[in-house]
Amino acid sequence: MKRTFLTVFGFSTLAFALLFTSSCTSNPDSSGYEYMPDMYRSPAIEAYVDYAEIRGKEVTALKSLLSAKTPPRNTIPYYGTDSNEVKLMMPNLRKANVAFKETHGLFGIDLSILDEYALAINDKNAIPLTAKNSETILKNGKELFTAMCQHCHGEKGDGNGPMVTSGAYAGVPNYANLTALSDGQMFYSIYYGKGMMGAHNSLLNKKEIWTLVHYVRQFQDASYGKFDANGLLVSSATKSDTTAVKP
Amino acid sequence: MKISNIQMINGLRKLAATILLISLSLLNFNAFSQGEALFKSKCATCHQTHKNGTGPKLFQVRDKWSAGGAKEGSIYQWVNNWQTAAASDPYAAEVSKWSPTAMSAFPDLKKEDIDAIMDWVDAQPDPAAAASSTGGTTDGSTGDVSAESEEEGSIGWIWIVMGVIFIVIIMAVGGVKRQLNIATSDDAASQEKLTYGEEFRSWAWKYKVYVGVTTLIVVISLIVGFLQSLSRIGVVEGYQPSQPIAFPHAAHAGINGIDCKYCHNSVTKSKHAGIPSVNVCMNCHKQINGEGKPFAGEIQKIYKAAGWDPSGAGKYTGKVNPIIWNKVHVLPDHVYFNHSQHVVVGGIDCKQCHGDMKTMTETAKVQPVEELNKIEGNIKLTKPTLTMGWCIECHGAKEVAIGNGKSGYYDEIHRRLKKDKALYRKYLKDGKITVNELGGWECAKCHY
Repeated sequence: MKRTFLTVFGFSTLAFALLFTSSCTSNPDSSGYEYMPDMYRSPAIEAYVDYAEIRGKEVTALKSLLSAKTPPRNTIPYYGTDSNEVKLMMPNLRKANVAFKETHGLFGIDLSILDEYALAINDKNAIPLTAKNSETILKNGKELFTAMCQHCHGEKGDGNGPMVTSGAYAGVPNYANLTALSDGQMFYSIYYGKGMMGAHNSLLNKKEIWTLVHYVRQFQDASYGKFDANGLLVSSATKSDTTAVKP
Repeated sequence: MKISNIQMINGLRKLAATILLISLSLLNFNAFSQGEALFKSKCATCHQTHKNGTGPKLFQVRDKWSAGGAKEGSIYQWVNNWQTAAASDPYAAEVSKWSPTAMSAFPDLKKEDIDAIMDWVDAQPDPAAAASSTGGTTDGSTGDVSAESEEEGSIGWIWIVMGVIFIVIIMAVGGVKRQLNIATSDDAASQEKLTYGEEFRSWAWKYKVYVGVTTLIVVISLIVGFLQSLSRIGVVEGYQPSQPIAFPHAAHAGINGIDCKYCHNSVTKSKHAGIPSVNVCMNCHKQINGEGKPFAGEIQKIYKAAGWDPSGAGKYTGKVNPIIWNKVHVLPDHVYFNHSQHVVVGGIDCKQCHGDMKTMTETAKVQPVEELNKIEGNIKLTKPTLTMGWCIECHGAKEVAIGNGKSGYYDEIHRRLKKDKALYRKYLKDGKITVNELGGWECAKCHY
């Protein structure tokens, strides 16, 4: 009896010792043990989850080939009940030129054979600047610019962002030299890309791009977006037409 | 006297020569700096000296044109307006097919200006050549990694094999010793009957106090260890899955100062921070190909994924091979977490939960809480990262900015709280309104 106990005890000690030593050597590729995998894994479709594993077996046919999935074509996200906001978010009617397939990788979207960039010269900023909203728009613009543009275009819009000063990237224009650009062309360049710059429509929605267009104008005209006591624009040399409202 | 005269003449000659040299170089320098200024303001957006971009590289482009059989002076015509040059010169017409992007017209640039630009461009050294002489081969990094991991595996096996050999030797020596003991013993009974077990039992009985105490300690420590190891189940601290591309956050967010929100761009709008799709990588890597650098092989993987053919002007082929990244921070399905709520409304810095990615040279990892606590400005927590205790602890410590206008729902709660003077005062006892006081410890906030 005592002997059996000792044998069992000896073996269990050995087993525990092995367990401990094995748990000490951590594998960074393993996320470790879970209590209840069926509560951890979502049966409903979630982003960034691979559903190829069914009851411990990986089904190759179901394996996800994309980390970030694209929304179905021609679907419009829900943007609330404010009709102005929804109108602003409607699909962009200004299409990219066919050459953008090769230069900017815009496959799988409707393209135009016309020189749309030249046509965009007449597009007006869809968010008219007024004495009331100017401060908020420019504040939001600064936030967006800091996160999305500054690393290349620089804090002052002079094309000397940290990407350029570190020597990694070259050829970022100074906004001050681009006064001939219309609001519509600026929008087009951000939305579909221009030259080395890629299309940013996957990162910024239309409202954000128009906000950025307002903000960038400040680099060309320091008084842009400033209103006097009567609610009239102070800036003189602005290209933006603040009266027309056209998305 | 004579000698000093000669010396003086020599000195004067030297002086004159230096003055001449300086004035010459100054003249040169003027044209040179003018060329540089013109290049930077007119050309640099599309052209680089030694690298193709939107436009082709400009290094020794005049020689290239004359060698290619271009008409005399057609390159200057091209700069003024490429269409007139392409109409008159077949070589220029050929050049216009290089890229579908047309070059802008520069009618105000004179021949001297263009020559000044080209002189400056031709005088620039090739940075790629300098880098390749010091840097490694293109696929060096990937080769190194696999070799290293292989080596690590083999070292593990060596230890196991050596351990087994060691145990065998000890047992063999012990066996020989025992046989010797039995053989030399006078007691006939022990020669036949005593087995290993019986011998051990008699030995244990002899030293029963020591054996008892040691056994007790071993058993208790094993039980404690076992329970502790149970509490590590479901803790993912230190999880660092291998990724298809060795992505260094330090180079992107640190050295090049890219905001976290540029690539993880849905963080302000959605529950997920978002893994950037490859078109976001291409916004910079269309130009940055890492040629001659040890990481060039990694960038080639981006090109393969994006369907980008970097030869010539470079073009997208449309044949894409999406990258499948491995998710690092995985929460169980029974807990709801929303990034935009924390980043936009709560105003939490990314580094509170993800650590300082500006210095992270390896792939992303679930940072242990000790590492997170070392970062300046972080709320100090004790429970392991990504566990419920960790969330709860932070909700109990984080101060809420009352009425910051970031969320209508919370602004309403703040307004009502301010109305209820007694409750407001009670909450303010510790000097701040924390998340849990506004319902941050409600079960249904995260579990529903």
